[in-house]
Amino acid sequence: MALAIRRSTSEVFGAAKWFIRRDCRALSTLPEKAVEVPVEKKRDRPVVSRIRANARNPNLALRHVYPEFLPDPNPKWRNSLREKLERTDMLNRRKQIDIPEFYVGSILAVTVADPHAQGKTNRFVGICIERKGAGLRAEFTLRNVVDHQGVEVRYDLYDPTVHSIQVLRLEKRLDDKLLYLRDALPEYSTFPFDMDPEILPDGTPVPVNPVQVKLKPRPWLERWERQELQGVSNIEEHLKEKDRVRRELRKEPWEKYDLMKQYRKTIPIEDQNDIWAEVNHQLKQLQLTRKKVSRKRTFGVPKTQLG
Amino acid sequence: MFKSLVSKLNPVQLSCGFHTTACMNEVRLLSRLRVVDNSEIGKRAMAEGKPPKVICVYNKKHVGYIGDRVLVAIKGQKKKGILVGMKQKQSVKVPKFDSNNVVLIDDNGTPLGNRIHVPIPTILRTILKEKTHSKGADYTKLLAIATRFV
Amino acid sequence: MVTGSLNLLRNSFNKLRIDHIFSRSFQTPRYRPPYWYEPKERVPSEEFITQENKQFIEEVMQDKLQQQASLHSPLVNIDSSKAAEWNPQTRRVGLIARKIGNYPLWTKDGKKVLTTLLQVVDNHVIRYIPPEEFSPMVTKKYVWKEKNKLGCLLVGSETIDPSTVTKEYCGLFNNAGMLPKRHLFRFMVSPESYIPPGTPLQATHFRVGDYIDVRAKTMDRGFQGVIKRWGFKGMPASHGVTKTHRRPGNIGSGGEKARVWPGTKMPGHMGNRWRILRGVKILRINTKHNVIWTLGVAIPGETGAMCYLFDTILPLKKHTTSPAFPTQPFVEDLPLEYYDESVQPFEEQSITFEEN
Repeated sequence: MALAIRRSTSEVFGAAKWFIRRDCRALSTLPEKAVEVPVEKKRDRPVVSRIRANARNPNLALRHVYPEFLPDPNPKWRNSLREKLERTDMLNRRKQIDIPEFYVGSILAVTVADPHAQGKTNRFVGICIERKGAGLRAEFTLRNVVDHQGVEVRYDLYDPTVHSIQVLRLEKRLDDKLLYLRDALPEYSTFPFDMDPEILPDGTPVPVNPVQVKLKPRPWLERWERQELQGVSNIEEHLKEKDRVRRELRKEPWEKYDLMKQYRKTIPIEDQNDIWAEVNHQLKQLQLTRKKVSRKRTFGVPKTQLG
Repeated sequence: MFKSLVSKLNPVQLSCGFHTTACMNEVRLLSRLRVVDNSEIGKRAMAEGKPPKVICVYNKKHVGYIGDRVLVAIKGQKKKGILVGMKQKQSVKVPKFDSNNVVLIDDNGTPLGNRIHVPIPTILRTILKEKTHSKGADYTKLLAIATRFV
Repeated sequence: MVTGSLNLLRNSFNKLRIDHIFSRSFQTPRYRPPYWYEPKERVPSEEFITQENKQFIEEVMQDKLQQQASLHSPLVNIDSSKAAEWNPQTRRVGLIARKIGNYPLWTKDGKKVLTTLLQVVDNHVIRYIPPEEFSPMVTKKYVWKEKNKLGCLLVGSETIDPSTVTKEYCGLFNNAGMLPKRHLFRFMVSPESYIPPGTPLQATHFRVGDYIDVRAKTMDRGFQGVIKRWGFKGMPASHGVTKTHRRPGNIGSGGEKARVWPGTKMPGHMGNRWRILRGVKILRINTKHNVIWTLGVAIPGETGAMCYLFDTILPLKKHTTSPAFPTQPFVEDLPLEYYDESVQPFEEQSITFEEN
């Protein structure tokens, strides 16, 4: 708290507000998103259109849940047989452990076998700030602040030393990458290691957390002002006139009309259909078996929750 | 005005009133570190906003990696230390920290403080065991004063 | 005594002659096609073929394909008692493979290793030329060391449409009863590792844990400067340097050596050369798709490039026990995957470390 007092009153107020909201959310059994999403209509629209698109092609929804099943779009590295072998290996690994659905902004707990640790296992809790890589190379980064020290750990998704990946809070953020949390106030990336998992009811869409973080004053690790970030509130405070001018000069508004660039970055729908047709059935089967197992487990659990 | 006062009061924040280059993620000569143990000299240096500077890295590359021994200039003295947390990109499952952390030791490998108040990567256990020779300095004493491993 | 030592000194100085040139680069030999080589490409002339004729050609090709698929491996006919034993001096046949990409595998101690996948596509023995008949190069200068010792085994891979190649090229495959193949390669083998033409070669020709040599063409990078081609440092970007930031600088000295010495590193064409990577370990083999996983990512060429696999010649990594000799016969019920003992299969449970 002593750290907070030194900052300006408005910052303290903002942080306190955030704390209160977070605590309330942790206490309430309802998913907090159910209240917050309908308020913002603009963000609603893409969700609706996505649902419509999904109604046409149910496979396309999977590309958000399992992005690593799509290969790297660079034609120089593509080979249908290699991709197929890779997918069978990935499915085999998924049969061993439950790799759940998660997004950038979700809070995960990862347990790995660690030959260096005392009990030979190591558990880390943190917010997923980045997720990248295709196939067996898929990896994600967790960030947390432990003892006032920011720590980040990178994990391979299909590493056989990973014993479990648990989603403590399933949600999305406003941006694709949360690397700016490195320059934000530490409150925004502090999560307790003994956090309880929050269970979303079946069938609810994944909530989007519209929290906007506050950055520390400069120097920053990157030029955040040029990246058009949605999840940062106070970026303008720290800018000088010079930075604003440079930002305007560096803008590339024509990028979004570059259809070739879009095409090169993505896998065409025809290719995706083949891939999803191959793996969809097995992924569904895996999900069903997981659900059965988890249902069996929940019979024992409720009493401990009440007590 | 209030902000400048805040930045002066805040010892952790290393940005000075004058312009500095973008933070260097690599530990090279003259890069500044953060002392994370509670040794008297280290605490005072960090409180005064005069963090130690690297003046020698004891390996052949002259770039410090995790678990490397360094010589630092701190409050006008020369002290040895061990790097216990790095800012640069790490391999998979090795934690990457927000600052370059150092624990001060003496020539026998005994830490100057008696507590480390930030988490320590578990891989350091193996690295320090490998670096310790039976008749030379014993660096594993550092692990005994750690409070938390990640 | 003195004269003897003087003589010694003079001899050693003779060796130190300054105009004595050792050149590192050798002149690439002129391409002389082997006598069995037939021109492959054909200029197609479509306009004279009617629709029925086209269909007829299709039918014939399908028949031939079926015939080829139904061919039994001639290895079955050879009785094993007559077959020679393998010893460390014998040379076996190799394989023609295609590089299909890289991906990571994990070892049992939890380390990630990158692997290269090589697919053995449709390899068949086409022809065998015994050592006494084999005389590949008509040259006086070069003495063929292995003359009259090693036979030549012609192996082809990847069946193609016969109408796209010349009649003469198709004729090469008639003896084996095969359709023409896209790639042909000759392997020098010792006579006892003779394999009858028509035998299919599988990925299980090599075992898991063996070391192989891989010969392939490096990536073609075109005409490159010295910085990229030879790793020169270049010159500073500023401090009065003009127009020589990426140039080689001095390429020779004065005096008796007042010329450019042969083998000086200079700009030129980079890549697209045959290179052999020796001692690559096999980590995993898939018998269904005939895919070999090899350790490391240093196999030359881009994804989709052809490469040739041999038993390694490195003395410490050679076979110690007998591999499949002369080759692995086709067996129906092989396990789908072979893993090296160091590799963690994905079907197995997660790795745990024991307290010690």
